[in-house]
Amino acid sequence: MKFSRVMAIAKKEVFHIIRDPFTLALALLLPVMMVSIFGLAIEFNVQNIKIAVFDEDRTTSSRKLLDTLSSSHYFLINPAKNQIEAIHLVDQQKDRAALIIEKNFEYNLFSGRGAKAQLMIDGSDNSTVGSVLSYFGSMQKIAFEKIAAKKLPTDVHLKTRFIYNPELNSRWFIVPGLMVVVLAILSILLTSLTIAREYENGSMELLLSTPVRSLEIVLGKLTPYIGLGLSAVLFVYIIARVFFEVPFLGNHFVFLTGCFLFLSTCLAQGLLISVTTRKQQISMQISMMTGLLPSLLLSGFIFPIESMPLFFRGLTAILPVRWFMNISRDVFLEGSGLYELKYDFLALLLICSVIVFLASKKFKRDVEP
Amino acid sequence: MKINQTILGFMKKEFIQALRDPRMRMLLFVAPIIQMTLFGVAISSDVKNIRLSTQFHSNDSILQHVYDRSIESKWFIPAKTKSNDPFIQLNSNEADAVLVPPPGGLTNSVVRGHGEIQLLINATNVLRAQSVETYMNAILKSVIQKDMHKVENAPPLQFDLRILYNPTIKTSVFMVPGVMSTLICLITITLTGMSISKEKETGTFEMLLSAPSRKWEIILGKTLPYVILGISNVPLILGVAVLVFNVPMRGSFFVLLVSSFVFVCTTVSIGTLISIMTKTQQQSMMASFLFLFPAIQLSGLTFPLENMPIYMKFLAYLNPLTYFLELLRNIMLKGGDTRVILTHLIVLILMGTILITISFKKFKNTLG
Repeated sequence: MKFSRVMAIAKKEVFHIIRDPFTLALALLLPVMMVSIFGLAIEFNVQNIKIAVFDEDRTTSSRKLLDTLSSSHYFLINPAKNQIEAIHLVDQQKDRAALIIEKNFEYNLFSGRGAKAQLMIDGSDNSTVGSVLSYFGSMQKIAFEKIAAKKLPTDVHLKTRFIYNPELNSRWFIVPGLMVVVLAILSILLTSLTIAREYENGSMELLLSTPVRSLEIVLGKLTPYIGLGLSAVLFVYIIARVFFEVPFLGNHFVFLTGCFLFLSTCLAQGLLISVTTRKQQISMQISMMTGLLPSLLLSGFIFPIESMPLFFRGLTAILPVRWFMNISRDVFLEGSGLYELKYDFLALLLICSVIVFLASKKFKRDVEP
Repeated sequence: MKINQTILGFMKKEFIQALRDPRMRMLLFVAPIIQMTLFGVAISSDVKNIRLSTQFHSNDSILQHVYDRSIESKWFIPAKTKSNDPFIQLNSNEADAVLVPPPGGLTNSVVRGHGEIQLLINATNVLRAQSVETYMNAILKSVIQKDMHKVENAPPLQFDLRILYNPTIKTSVFMVPGVMSTLICLITITLTGMSISKEKETGTFEMLLSAPSRKWEIILGKTLPYVILGISNVPLILGVAVLVFNVPMRGSFFVLLVSSFVFVCTTVSIGTLISIMTKTQQQSMMASFLFLFPAIQLSGLTFPLENMPIYMKFLAYLNPLTYFLELLRNIMLKGGDTRVILTHLIVLILMGTILITISFKKFKNTLG
């Protein structure tokens, strides 16, 4: 392997990138755009949930219950004429839940039988069910204390401390993760067409008639894109720190090493796809399939990996994005160093070498399909 | 009615081109089934296997019971710890949550009447941290009630909870309509995004234009085959949803098919527009990503839409995927509400029409 030949391939690839300003602009700006927009947009602490209420009791107590709900700012109350209408409002997606306060609510409450209010939550939308459930759980006690004007005795008080994100700020959780997801997909896409394009245009024949080796081609193609990816990281990092005020407790060198390894792995994955398919359209389909949804859904970005069935937990281990998700979050929020993250780094290194090896192995020195 | 021969010939060519490669046939008909199964089984938003550690004092029976009950509940698993310091346990990633009893033990403090215990949670994942707190609160309450021999009298005010449409709270029922709509969107956009730019890159586009075919014939011939391919995926994906995951199909299959048809038409027009506006396949791919990523994020699949700032809500309601996802949830789980179905379909049809018109206009401009 000769270094000069790697550089020659890299130089040629740089011309390719510069010649297509649309792709270049997207590669640099897209991560920044996506992280800023979605960093702002995503908020898990759901407020103003619309609930349909049918109050059959119409007593001071039932009104106090409704007052408690609406003054909590979590709920917006939407009166319904009867039970059927209340459920119908949920069917029509106008309300997220229906609350039915039955007759004798007040009587049951003070006679010690235990008053019940029926609550039906819209179970079709997975993104809100959890919050609605937990809000009502905490409302139960507050509402009783307000109606009865006395404190309920508590046997034990659970004092929770949220370490690394004491105010449960959604941004701190989302931004370091979102960065990983966007970079993963972008890097796979960037390289996935490069070699397929040369096969389709016929320029691969020219390249293969030169003394350059397959590993040299693979490394030469990777180098400029790693540079491109690292500049995108820099922009995103600035946005995260300055705009979203996400704390960065770790070591910048550790983070940079992680970024370098991760970008190389994803770019190499794109190359591997490109080398295997030799067709741009198929490359794109495979990259979108192996890049977009797995990075979003199987990386631990939102859905925790430890909740997955055992087999799938094992399966996620082959995804570089799952390891870098850990590295990014831990370096940002926990300040972890190389020692704490040794397995993640080792895994990334292993995946990266395997993919680069496969890509240059698959790279047959012929133009036959 | 006379069938337009040009369009038929065109469609035949596109079908041959798309299905010629066996790898493409795999990607079109097998990959969606695999993905559907994969994401349906793997992801869930409930939290399990949280590594819990605690510090036992001697004879602290209540804490021991709390810990045992936590492990039994399957939400928590015991953490393997080397250090005794809770902060080190969290920082070295040996535990996700640590129960720290007051000095003297939890039992003592409860007996004395002002029970208190501290829970430290690794909150890098905000959603997980919140669930852990809720679970622990519930466990703590029930254990103490039992250990202190209190009569389990019902709390004075109780909400009688029911989860509509998914009473057993099966995660796959929550997730499957979302994954379905995302997959259909992904397949159609990746299929059509390159259809015209590919011809431009290989030079066959010129031949197309020099042939005696009209503009609308080219556009229809280019889009119809992909609409058909996209639609053919719906029964496959729906089959996995209903047969493998037992997701209920409460509404009418016909309505679902019509909605899918309208949605596929809309996404195919987006793909075609992308393909017309870009010059190379690389650009088409980047543009497709520029559409797909926000579309998936803003559809309500993973994040609640209610809370977004107003300008993002505006974007979310310009997103065809949002409407299709709501349609699928409504038809499959709720049985289909006529008003919702009609309004959503009308919006999707409007979007499709506007997009096709723009494609038509743009197509003319690039002829020169």
